[in-house]
Amino acid sequence: MNRLTQLPTLRINPAKTLPFTYREKKYQGMSGDTVAVALYSNGVRIFSKSTRYHRPRGLYSLDGECGNCLMEVDGLPNIQAETSLLRGGMTINPQNIKSFEKDSGPDKVDPAGFDYQKFHKPYKMWPYFLKRIRNAAGLGVVSPSFRMKGLFDEQYLNAEVCVIGGGPAGILAALAAAEQGLRVILLEARPWLGGCSDYRSAEYTPGVALYSRARELAKAVEDTPNVRVFSHTFMTGLYADNHVTAFQIGAQGDHFNERYMEIRAESVIAATGCIERPLLFENNDLPGIMQASCAHRLARTYGLLPGERAIFSVGHDLGIEAAIDLSDLGLPILCVADCRPDVQDPRLIKELTERGIPFMPGWVVSKAEGGKSLEKVTLTTIEGIRHHAVECDTLVASADLTPAAGPLFMSGAKMEYDFHTGFFLPGQLPPKVHAAGRLIGLYDPFSIEASGHLAGLNAAKDCGASVDALLKTAQKEIGRLPGPARGSKWMLPPSVSLNRDIVEKIFICLDEDTTVKHIDQAYNMGFDTVELMKRFTGAGTGPGQGGISGHNLPLVISRYHSDSVMPTLPGTVRPPLVPSFLATYSGRSRDMVKRTPLHESGKAAGALFQRERVWKHARYFSDDFTCREEIENVRGNVGVTDVSALGKFRIFGPDAVNALQRVYVGNMSDIPVGKVRYSAMCNEDGRLIDLGVVTKRGEEDYYFTTTADRADSAMEWIRYHTRYDQWNFHIVNLTDAFAAINLAGPNSRELLRKITDADISGDAFPFMACRTFALRRETSRDSETSNVSDISAIPVRVMRLGFVGELSYEIHAPASLAESLWDLLMEAGRDFGIRPFGSEALDALRLEKGHVIIGRESETRTTLHDLGLGFLWDEEHAGISTVGVPPLKFTRYQTGRLRLVGFKTEDPSRAPRDGSIIVEKTIRGYVCTARYSFTLKEAIGLALVESRLAKKGTRLQIFEDGMKKDERLYATVVSTPFLRSVDG
Amino acid sequence: MESYQRRSPVSFTSRMAESVRRDGWEVALRYHDEGKGPFLIDLSHRPKWDIQDADLSGIRPMGIPVSEVPGECIFQNGFLLNRMNQTQAALWHLSGESPKMPREFLYTDVTDGYALLSVIGKEMFFIMEKISASDLSSPTKKPPFLIQGPVSQVPCQIVVLGENEGYFGLLIACVRGYAQSMTEAILDSGVEWGLRPAGENIFCNWLEPLSA
Repeated sequence: MNRLTQLPTLRINPAKTLPFTYREKKYQGMSGDTVAVALYSNGVRIFSKSTRYHRPRGLYSLDGECGNCLMEVDGLPNIQAETSLLRGGMTINPQNIKSFEKDSGPDKVDPAGFDYQKFHKPYKMWPYFLKRIRNAAGLGVVSPSFRMKGLFDEQYLNAEVCVIGGGPAGILAALAAAEQGLRVILLEARPWLGGCSDYRSAEYTPGVALYSRARELAKAVEDTPNVRVFSHTFMTGLYADNHVTAFQIGAQGDHFNERYMEIRAESVIAATGCIERPLLFENNDLPGIMQASCAHRLARTYGLLPGERAIFSVGHDLGIEAAIDLSDLGLPILCVADCRPDVQDPRLIKELTERGIPFMPGWVVSKAEGGKSLEKVTLTTIEGIRHHAVECDTLVASADLTPAAGPLFMSGAKMEYDFHTGFFLPGQLPPKVHAAGRLIGLYDPFSIEASGHLAGLNAAKDCGASVDALLKTAQKEIGRLPGPARGSKWMLPPSVSLNRDIVEKIFICLDEDTTVKHIDQAYNMGFDTVELMKRFTGAGTGPGQGGISGHNLPLVISRYHSDSVMPTLPGTVRPPLVPSFLATYSGRSRDMVKRTPLHESGKAAGALFQRERVWKHARYFSDDFTCREEIENVRGNVGVTDVSALGKFRIFGPDAVNALQRVYVGNMSDIPVGKVRYSAMCNEDGRLIDLGVVTKRGEEDYYFTTTADRADSAMEWIRYHTRYDQWNFHIVNLTDAFAAINLAGPNSRELLRKITDADISGDAFPFMACRTFALRRETSRDSETSNVSDISAIPVRVMRLGFVGELSYEIHAPASLAESLWDLLMEAGRDFGIRPFGSEALDALRLEKGHVIIGRESETRTTLHDLGLGFLWDEEHAGISTVGVPPLKFTRYQTGRLRLVGFKTEDPSRAPRDGSIIVEKTIRGYVCTARYSFTLKEAIGLALVESRLAKKGTRLQIFEDGMKKDERLYATVVSTPFLRSVDG
Repeated sequence: MESYQRRSPVSFTSRMAESVRRDGWEVALRYHDEGKGPFLIDLSHRPKWDIQDADLSGIRPMGIPVSEVPGECIFQNGFLLNRMNQTQAALWHLSGESPKMPREFLYTDVTDGYALLSVIGKEMFFIMEKISASDLSSPTKKPPFLIQGPVSQVPCQIVVLGENEGYFGLLIACVRGYAQSMTEAILDSGVEWGLRPAGENIFCNWLEPLSA
C-alpha cells in the first residue's frame, strides 16, 4: 500500500523499515507504526472475529478502545495492536479466527442473557457448557508454565501537580503550575504530546497549523526543568488523596519493557480529551467502518489513506474537518452526511463545496452491508423518509465526541448529563481535582488552551502558590472565549423504534456482541438500569471496558424511561482504565528475604535453606530429610543450631515491669538478676500468641525474647496494650542486633568449658539461669591482642534453657561476631564430633519433648489451658489487667473445648502426615505434627482433639488425604513429654 | 594474638582495592573500578545508637541537641542525630574515630542491628524512586532530614543528607537481616545509571564539605 511519506505531521520514519511476520508470512512496516497500522498498510482488514458471533472486525479507533485489534504478538495473547509499537522481528497472529473465508456469523443472534437462561437447567450441566462456550470463543491461550520475557520495572513519583493528558490543555496546565516553581508530572498515553492537535492541519492562527502549535507546546513543556513528561503512559487508576497509578511502555533503548508507576500528587488535572461516540446502525461492526479520528490519524500520523471510496456519516465538526483534509490528501470521498440538520461551522461546509464533496445535512447512515468487509452503505434522512444506497469500502462514522472522563469518575466527581453538549460532565469535582480542555466540552483551540492554563493555576493554588491575581486574569480570559459547542444527541436510526421489532445487528458493544435488540429484550425482562443491563447483556464488560458503549448505553436506556427527562448516568468506572500485563503490576518482584547473621556459616556447612516467613532458614544439613543423624547427634553428643530469628528486645524504664506484666501471664515482678522467666503472651481471647523468656539486665532493665513470628509485632503489641497508661518505659528491638545459637546435647557443657573461663558448672549455672561472659579459644586466653582495636574475645549472654530436652545453652552474641562465634564453637567441638542441625531436626527434637510451636499446635480456638500450658499463668500477679486473663478465667473449666494431646501410632513405623484429620463419624480433631522418633524408635505426634477424646489411652482414628474411604491409621493418646528431658 | 573478625551483613562482588581494620571490622576504603558515580557504600560498621527517654529536650548526645520535630536531623562533628518520634532519637557516627557509647541508661548500641548504606550520585533520586515511594525531594524539607518509610517494601530510616557539587547523598538504614536483599535491590535499581559499590573514602570525601 502506498504511504504518504512527506507529511509534516508524520510520526513514522519512512526511511527505516521493520520486518515482521504475520500468519507465517513476512511483511514490512515502518518505524513508528503500531502493529495495527503496519498490518493495515499491508492490506490486512480483518483483525479478529468477535467473541460470540465470530463476526469479522477491523480497525476502528486506533486508540485501543475496543477489542477489535487484540492479537497475539511474540507468543503473548491479547496484545492491543492499536497501541503497541511495531518492533523488528515481531511475530503476529490473529486470535479467535478459525477461518478468514467464512462470512460473518449466524444470521440470528441469541437473545439477551441467553447464557443465563439456556445452560443452567439442570444446573449441574453448567460446567459442561461453560467449558465448551469458552473453547468456542477461542480468545487466546494461557499456559501456566509461560514465563514473561522482558524487564518490568516500577517507579514511585511525588509531585505537587499531576496532569493526565498531554494535549494543549494538559500542556498549558503543566506549564502554568511549573511557572509557580512546583514539581509537575505530565502523563500522555500516546508516544508523543499534542493530543487532538498533533495531526490536524486546520488553522490555529493565520499561517500556523494546529499541529505546529501542538509541537511548539510540546517542546516548551519538555524543556521545562520542573516538568517530568511521561509519554506512552496510560493512567490506570485514581485513588484517594490523589494517588494516581499508571504504566508506561518502554521505548527503544529504555531499560524496561513496561513499568508500573504510582504517583502521589497534591493536585490532579484531568485533560484527557474526548473519544468518539459511535453511530448505531445495522451492521455497524463491519471491517471498513471506523471513527473519524482513526481515519484522520491513519493518514496524517502514519501516512495511510484508509480506503479507496469513502463515505462520512458524522455528527461533529471534527468529522467534517477530517473529510476535508483526507480529500486533500487524496482519499475519494463520495459524500459527507451529518446527522445534525444545522449548527455546522459554515467555513467547513464551504470547504466541502469547494472540493465538490456532496454535503448532506440531516442525513445519517442506517445500514451497512458487506461480506467480510464493507461494500455498501444506506444513508437515510433523520426522519427516515428518504434513502440512498452507495457502494464504498470505507465508512467513517461517528455520532459525536464523548469525554474520556474515566479519571473524573474515579475521582468521585459528581457527573451530570449536560443537555447542551450531550456529554456527561463533572457537575462537582472533588477538592484538588480539576478538569480542562475537550474533556469539559470545549472545542475552540484558544478556549482549550485557556482552560488548561486556568486549571494549572487552580492546581497551583491548591499547593499554596499565590496566584489569585493570575487566576482572576485567566478567568476573565476564558470568559471571553467560545464555550462548549452544542452536541449532537443523535442515537438510533429512524428505522429503530424501541419496544418494537428491532432489527438484529445494531451493535452497541463490539467487544461483547451486544446489540440494541439485546438492550430491548433485557429491559423488557426488568433489567432497567445501566448496572443491571451491563451485567445481564455483557455490554461494556469486555476488553474495552465500556469505551465504545459507555456513552450510548445509558442514552439508549434513558429512552425507555419515559418518566425521566434526565438521562441515566453511565455505569461505575473501575480501575484499571487500560489493561496491562500482570507482570507490569508485579514490577521487579524482588524477593526481600531476611538472612540470619549465620547464613554464610550455614551455607558453608552445607545447609539447605527454606523460606520460613520472612527468613531464609537452614532447614536441613544433608539430603536425608528425616535428619536422623542430626537428631541422634544432639541426643547423644552435641549439636549446634541457628536460632537467630528469635525476637530479642530490650525494655527499660521505671514502668518496664508493668508493661511486661500487661502482656505476660507469668509473674514479671520478681525475676532475680541472673535468672530467666519463661512465660506466655495471650491475645484478648486468651489464645496463646507467643512464648518467650524474660531476664533482668539491671535495675528497670530487661531483656526478653519472642518467637520469630512475633518479632515484628511484639513492640507494637506492648505499646498498643499500654497506650492509655502513660507509663514511662522504652523498647528497643534487638532481633537483628544479636545472633543466637543453641548449643545442645550431653557434651555441650564440656564444649563450652573449653572456650570460657566462667564457671558453668551445674551449680554455678543452673537450668533457667542467665550469665554474661566471654568466649575465646583455649590457647588464646593468656595471649594479648596485637591491637587495642581488635576483638580478643566474643562477649555473650548465655541462657541455660532449651527447646530440645537436652542440656543446652542459648548463646546470644553481637550479630557482627556471629560467624566468628560459629567458627569458635565448631573448632572447639571438633573433638566431640559437633554437627550443625537445622529447623527440621529441631522440630523433631522438640516434638519428643512435647513442646508446642505456635501456629502448629495452637490455633484460633486454643487457649493456654487447651494446650496444657496453664501452669504459665500466675494468677496472683497476672490479674484482670493482663491481656488474655479474663477469658482464661472463663475458659479454663469450660467443657467441649479442643485439647492438645500426645499420641503414639499403633504401627510404630508409620507417622501420619501433618494435618491429617481425626475422625469418628465426623471430624473430631487433627494431627498437628507427627514424626518418627529415632530416639524412641516409634512414631509420635501431637494432635488437637475434642476434649472427650483427650483421656490417656483413648484410641484415635486418623484419616490421611488420599486414603480409601474406610481406611484408617490408629493411634493411642499418651502423656507428654514423650521423652524425659535432662533440662526442664 | 587472637582477634575475632566482625562481619558486615553486606557483601559486594566487587574486589576491594584498599581496606583498613577497625574495631574488628575490615572496612573497605576503596574498590576496584568504582567509576564516577553513582555509588553505593556500605557503612554498616559505623556506630549507631538508639536513644530513648520520656523527655528528649534536655538531652545532648555527644553535645548535640536533639531536634524538636520528628524527622529533623542535625549533623555535627561527624555525628548525625535523627529525631525519630516523641521519645526516640538515633545517633549515627559517620566520620572520624569511632567513639565509645556513653554508659547511660537511655543509650542502646544497635550498631549490629542495622545495615547502613549510602547512595551518592547525580541520579540518586532517580535510583531511589524505583524502590521507595517516600518523597525524598520534597521542597518543604531541608536536608538533612529523616523519613521513616519502606524501601523495596522493607521498613527503613532514610536520611537525605544533601548535595555537594551536583552529587546528592542519602543514607538508608534497615534491619540487618534484610541487608543483602536491600543491597541487591538498590544495585538492581541503579543498573541503568551504572550504580557501583564504592568504599568509605568516597563517602567521607563527599561528606566533608557538609560537615563544615
